Amino acid sequence: MFIAFYRASKFAVQNFWRNVWLSLMTVSILLLTLLSINVLLVLNVVTDRAITYVEQRVDVSVYFYETVTEDQLTSVVSYLRTLTQVKDVQVVTAQEALARFQTQHEGDEEILQSLNEYGGNPFGSTLVVQAYHVDDFDFIISALDHPDYEEWIREKDFSNYQDIINSIEASTDRVRWFGYGLSGLFLLITALIVFNTVRMGIFIHREEIGIMRLVGASSWFIRSPFLLEAILYSFLATVLAGALLYPILLQVEPKVDAYFGSVTGLTVYFIQNGLWIFGGQFLLLALLNMIATTFAMRRYLKI
Amino acid sequence: MIRCKNISKIYHPDIVALKNVSLHIQPGEFVSIVGQSGTGKTTLAKLLFAEERPTKGVIEIGGWDISKIPNRDIPVLRRQIGVVFQDFKLLPKKTVGENVAFALEVSGERPKRIAEVVPQVLRIVGLGDRAHRYPHQLSGGEQQRVVIARALVHRPKIFVADEPTGNLDTLNTREIIDLLLRINEFGTTVVLVTHNREVVNALKKRVITIDHGEVVSDVEEGRYRI
Ligand SMILES: Nc1ncnc2c1ncn2[C@@H]1O[C@H](COP(=O)(O)OP(=O)(O)O)[C@@H](O)[C@H]1O
Ligand SMILES: [Mg+2]
Repeated sequence: MFIAFYRASKFAVQNFWRNVWLSLMTVSILLLTLLSINVLLVLNVVTDRAITYVEQRVDVSVYFYETVTEDQLTSVVSYLRTLTQVKDVQVVTAQEALARFQTQHEGDEEILQSLNEYGGNPFGSTLVVQAYHVDDFDFIISALDHPDYEEWIREKDFSNYQDIINSIEASTDRVRWFGYGLSGLFLLITALIVFNTVRMGIFIHREEIGIMRLVGASSWFIRSPFLLEAILYSFLATVLAGALLYPILLQVEPKVDAYFGSVTGLTVYFIQNGLWIFGGQFLLLALLNMIATTFAMRRYLKI
Repeated sequence: MIRCKNISKIYHPDIVALKNVSLHIQPGEFVSIVGQSGTGKTTLAKLLFAEERPTKGVIEIGGWDISKIPNRDIPVLRRQIGVVFQDFKLLPKKTVGENVAFALEVSGERPKRIAEVVPQVLRIVGLGDRAHRYPHQLSGGEQQRVVIARALVHRPKIFVADEPTGNLDTLNTREIIDLLLRINEFGTTVVLVTHNREVVNALKKRVITIDHGEVVSDVEEGRYRI
């Protein structure tokens, strides 16, 4: 068993070298396929991270009338905190709101003038509510339509982050679909190229194969070098894809981070999940190639 | 050992290579199959080791009906039949020893056994000292002896040779035929396909003559008549 495996591997490696250009071309196509799949993956990760980043910063500002007392405010805060959807509630008191307004418009005489003319504090208190998930805001906002609190609230401002998220998704979606299409196309080409490579391999080795058949080699033995070769191609392509992707990620990550104004942790993601990502891609590719190889052998190996 | 009952072989779409051939070859026999070119000799030889399957009829090898042999059983059959065929020459990039060893490697033999068998069969064909030569460093006759050595690695009960002397001069032909006789003396059934008149006449063994796909004569100690 072991000796048969050793011999089959030896033949597989010999096949690889015997027409090394064909082998290299095959590996290159496999590599292109993997790269396009990985670009797609990068895109998914970046989109995910960007959306998470935006989502973490989504909040609802609830503005109260000036007349609302601190006790009333506290009761709303405690009510909100009982909601499981609410992550955090920050209180901005009327005084804080005024101070903040004044610092924001420092040097703007006209505005400060009109504030003075108003006399007193025109601001009410504000609550800044954060949710665990963007989808929960609708619920939180409707919860505030509570008859007890309704009349204290002047305005609820749900900054329209959903639009930002939608626009991120819309802009990446198009690229993503293109990526899916391209990867699919590459996978198809991969299968065809591998089919052809095996066909060539069978042609180049027809004398050996003829002798093998004649002296009673099992079909399994005749087939295994071609299957092993398909695995070898997949393995080389996966290793090369990893080796190429790493420096590319290092280059790209700062630019992506700058664009989204956040830390995507792209490289770290790929390193931490490398085993799954590349292991999965290797298995996918090896499986596809073995299927293509089997088809080629069925067609051209008369065994 | 070999029994053919009413076999016909029709190649796609309608080339009749063999018509209703019946013959019986005893264990240890030496049989020559002769006939003009294109009469179905090679086809008959191919049927014996299941390279082709008969369109009609039954072929039994040692009592085993191989007319409808499934692909997975073919290796088992092939390890009992030594085959020398014009299409299957030596691999030019392997030495004589490696060429012979190849036949054992691909059928899963252990290295220790290969190391024993290779010198043995090379000695049988008289090339014990040529193991490290490459095929192009050998004469045509020597090359053919290596091919025969390779066919002997499994100690076959039947030996089928299709025109083994086709490209050889008289002297080399003589040597190959002597070798086949020696193999036959060890008890192996030999089926020799040839159209060489001198060979057949010198052998004084059984001759089966085929013409247009049919057996037209089958005589003990026959002579080439066509
Ligand atoms: N694979 C094949 N497909 C179609 N026709 C074939 C094939 N092999 C042989 N033939 C035909 O069958 C006939 C017998 O061929 P063959 O057995 O090779 O004869 P021989 O060996 O006596 O010269 C010939 O007419 C040949 O053209
Ligand atoms: Mg012939």
